[in-house]
This record gives sequence, structure tokens and C-alpha cells, in this order.
Amino acid sequence: MADEFDVEFIRGDDREARILVRGLTPAFANGLRRAMIADVPTLSIDTLRVVENSSVMFDEMIGLRLGLVPLTTPDDFEYGDTVTLSLDVEGPDTAYSGDLESSDPDVKPADEDIPIIQLNENPSGENQRIELEAEAVLDDGKSHAKQSGGVAVGYRHLRKVSVVGDRGEFDEEETNILRGVIETEDGELVPTDEFDHDLTERYPGKELEVEDVPGAFVFHVETDGSMTVEELVLRGIDSIESRADELQEKVAV
Amino acid sequence: MMIPVRCFSCGKVIGEHWEEFEERARDGEEDPAAVLDDLGVDRHCCRRMMVSHRDLVDVVSPYQ
Repeated sequence: MADEFDVEFIRGDDREARILVRGLTPAFANGLRRAMIADVPTLSIDTLRVVENSSVMFDEMIGLRLGLVPLTTPDDFEYGDTVTLSLDVEGPDTAYSGDLESSDPDVKPADEDIPIIQLNENPSGENQRIELEAEAVLDDGKSHAKQSGGVAVGYRHLRKVSVVGDRGEFDEEETNILRGVIETEDGELVPTDEFDHDLTERYPGKELEVEDVPGAFVFHVETDGSMTVEELVLRGIDSIESRADELQEKVAV
Repeated sequence: MMIPVRCFSCGKVIGEHWEEFEERARDGEEDPAAVLDDLGVDRHCCRRMMVSHRDLVDVVSPYQ
């Protein structure tokens, strides 16, 4: 394996990005992907104390919905640490994730507009109401998918596309679909959606050769909002590193 | 009943886009595919969450 990795940011924002890494083995690339999905802990609501719930949903259904709301997760929490949040909304109104009041200013819903439950007026004339306290706990994606910071994290090989000649005069023009990121002969990196994933759009009338670039992987990283893409990648790497250190310590008697 | 918070398959948070989708594509005249593209709901697993959803809170709430 190479001593140094070459990392290039292709494009993206805080929530979604494409990152090219050179000098990886397939095993290490997959290890990083798995670490980002299952080993980076996030805060999620896990327990409720329901004071009043006269909505159309059962307490458990509300609990599941609240659990799936992503919460911003600073890196100074330990496994099992909890944060208390509260929700108090009276109908006719809709309770949104933004109505959750947190006891820690650094921990708050990453999206404020997720509808939790719509509260109406009952036939008896009373307004439906929800009041509860919730405990968010820090845990990782191995215990529950709601604790996973990464969404649809994956990678593809970087592909090198080179022109080897002209297409035969009487050959049929067929679409040549390729998804991911290609490297042109000039070394330019082009995401395939720029030419509708069809190589014949970019190289009309040419005969092409497409091959994998060894050791180069294009990661597609998307987060649920509990941290930025950059933090997710760094925490994933930290988790691999700390486990490798632990192994080394245990093996060296 | 209510729009699910996340996509069942991939886990992307889609609940926040429902009200805009309903206003523009269900009640409005816009093309649902164009609205979903605009909202950034790209994968077909997330798109089916929005396209196949029906709000039932108003239907069940008289029977409480």
C-alpha cells in the first residue's frame, strides 16, 4: 500500500460530496465505507416520557418518528451520554422537529421542518395535545439505523477513458452508459452526469477504451445532517485508527 | 398516516420536503418529477416515498 494517500474533493457541500482518494486498496476503501456507516456514533432520541398524547398516533409511533430525526452531534460526547429534549405542542397545529427544545445548545434537530404529528380538534371540541420529554443517546449504526450518520455511502472505481480511434463508418451508434467519475486523457476529472452518463454524448463518433485506474476510488458520501461530510470522513478514519491501535496494544504483550 | 421521516430504503430524511411537494405537485399544477428534482430527492427509493404517500390524519381523527 502507498505511504501517502492523495485526496481530491470533486464537488459537494456540507451534506453530500464526491471525494477522490488515490493509493487505497479495495479492502481499505471498504473498511472506510463501513466505518462511516456503522462506527461513527450520533445522537438520536431513544426513550420518551410521555406526559400527554391525545393525537391520532400511539406513543410508540411518535417515539419512532422522533428517533429518526437527525440531531447535530458535537465530537465531545462519549458512548451512552444522554441529552434531554422536550416537545409541547397544542392543536390545531402541526408539531415539527423544530419545536423540540434541547437542554444542550450544541444538540438540536438538524432539520427544523420535519412534521412529527398533525394535531387537530377532537369531535368533543377539545384540542389534541402532545407533551413529552425525550432522552437522546449517543450510539453507533450497529445498534440501530437511526444512529448512523452516513446515508447511502458508497464508492466506485475512477475510470480512465481514452480515445483509440474513430467509430467504423457503418457501425451503429449505441449509447455507452457509464456512471461515476471519469478521468480524461488530459487528466481532467469529469462527473458523468455532466454528459447525461452517456459517453457518446461527450465523444461522438469515437471508439473508446474504458479502464479502471488502480487504487483510485471515488467516494460518494452523504450525511443525514448530524455532522458535515468532512467530519463524517474524519471521524470514520479516527474510528479505524483507534481500533487498529487497540489491536496493536492487545497483540503486543 | 403522516409522511415517514426517512426513506425506508436509504435513510435520507424526506419528511421535510412533503409539505412543499404536496402544495406544488398534488394541489398545484406542477409536474411531480420536476418538483422532486428541485427538492433534491434524486434516488428512486426516496421518490416513491413521496409519490405513493397519502395523509390520513384528517380521515382518522373523528374516530378518536
